[in-house]
Amino acid sequence: MHMEKEELYTTAYMARLKLSETESEDLEKAVSRMLKYFEKMMEVDVANSEPTTHALLKDNRLRKDEIAAGKQTSDKILKNAPELEDRFIVTPNVL
Amino acid sequence: MPEWDKILSNPEVFKKWKEAAVSIDKNIKCFLEFDPEKGINLSNREAAAEGAETKPEDKTLSGIPFAVKDNIAVESFKLTCGSKILSNFVSPYTATAVTKLQKNGAVVVGKTNLDEFGMGSSTENSAFTQTHNPWDLKRVPGGSSGGSAAAVAAGLVPFALGSDTGGSIRQPASFCGVYGLKPTYGSVSRFGLVAYASSLEVIGVIAKTVSMLKNVFKVMHGEDPYDHSSLPAEEKTFNGKITKIGFPKELKSIELYPSVRKTLDSTIKNYKQMGYDISEISLPTLEYVVSAYYVIATAEASANLARFDGIRYGERDFSAENPEELMLSSRNRGFGKEVKLRILLGTYVLRSGFQEQYYLRAQKIRTAIRKDLQRAFGTVDAVLLPVYPRPAFKPGGKEMDPFSQKLADIFTSTANLAGIPAVSFPAAVEEGLPVGMQLLAPAFAEKLLFSMCGDYEKVFPSPSPAENYLNRSI
Repeated sequence: MHMEKEELYTTAYMARLKLSETESEDLEKAVSRMLKYFEKMMEVDVANSEPTTHALLKDNRLRKDEIAAGKQTSDKILKNAPELEDRFIVTPNVL
Repeated sequence: MPEWDKILSNPEVFKKWKEAAVSIDKNIKCFLEFDPEKGINLSNREAAAEGAETKPEDKTLSGIPFAVKDNIAVESFKLTCGSKILSNFVSPYTATAVTKLQKNGAVVVGKTNLDEFGMGSSTENSAFTQTHNPWDLKRVPGGSSGGSAAAVAAGLVPFALGSDTGGSIRQPASFCGVYGLKPTYGSVSRFGLVAYASSLEVIGVIAKTVSMLKNVFKVMHGEDPYDHSSLPAEEKTFNGKITKIGFPKELKSIELYPSVRKTLDSTIKNYKQMGYDISEISLPTLEYVVSAYYVIATAEASANLARFDGIRYGERDFSAENPEELMLSSRNRGFGKEVKLRILLGTYVLRSGFQEQYYLRAQKIRTAIRKDLQRAFGTVDAVLLPVYPRPAFKPGGKEMDPFSQKLADIFTSTANLAGIPAVSFPAAVEEGLPVGMQLLAPAFAEKLLFSMCGDYEKVFPSPSPAENYLNRSI
């Protein structure tokens, strides 16, 4: 299966990737090659199979939402923000 | 130099070791950050907080230095994931697996190079540097945990942590002549591991000896309230000697590099001589493993990597005039080519209209692969496979381009899809390069793998490269 340029750009936008012209040429080839390879999966009869999402997974588990000792990390997290005003992260204008 | 647990405590020995490690790493470039002093402070703090909870005789890793792949969080060390988008990110906390080791007394000495976000087989996809194989500097160390495998192979540390999504611990371990364990899915907490493909990946160990591999796993496994998918230790017990190994007949028709084929044959012969019962089994789904793996891994990656938006942390394009432009441009500047390819593929296979054809079908094939292995484990205790169809290759894409590297994940990604443990062990040195083999066992049967590759270690211990090796007897 070949992915047309337009499809590639649509998919890239969905993934919030802005591709340059040369980049998109390379990626068009690489993505198409993989999609072609994925066609191999069509040979398998999966009619009576259930999908596996996780190989081993127990039921839903919950824990209390509380700060554990030694895990007060909010200041350290904020230090990684590209731009701060007090304890707020700055973004360009939304409107 | 003395034993590993004495290196950090004696200032003179420490200085000598550090200088030697820095000097060897100039050739190999396995570390992105090397700061043992910082690691010693962190471990002292954890040990003090731990108090007397761990009995001194259980502190099997006390004073032992180790390296951590740079997609696993260690507080106050950078956490770059080999990506430009996180080049300045400093981790605010430590991964549970690392904390457990620190509480036991082990010391993080640095963070190791990797393919960006764990996506690759050669460590060429790192945004920062190319790590070289200590056996031959002109060759890759494998990937994506290439820095960790090279650090252990060069004798800089006795063990290192890696992550394994489709073979990222076992393949570099094989290329570098050391042991690599991909534990049972969920047996080691993923809290603090930067997510790539959540249903497949697990933190594991690369080590120079089987006993070190075993000790490290023993300390770091177990359920963690911070990882929803972690599972309680469910150690299987075995009665009598476990000696039945099966190898898939499908291997006959799969192309292998001559030295790998030769090592497969000699491994079977060696195990037979040790009294093992080797038989042929069948894994008919083997040929569909790679396609199912890449559909699932890229789909999960496209969702997991959506968090890198340039807003809350990471590389940001300050010239952007609105949030959307900021996101588009920051992601485009921050991600490398292979990461973009996988995000695009993953986004595509999850698009409405294509899901059934790709993602759902891949998940159904995943069920078939699990059943194939379950059937095999009905007659044998473990399955023997090569790790990779060829030994360490040269970088640049001529010997192995990105597409052929993906196809070569056939033997490793099987265990990730099934969630079962697998170990890569050095089985021979051919044409000057180590060649690893792989054993797969049922879920939670790590003990069986340690026993089997421990037997092999008695005949063939991990070989050391002639150069680029920190020889502790110097």
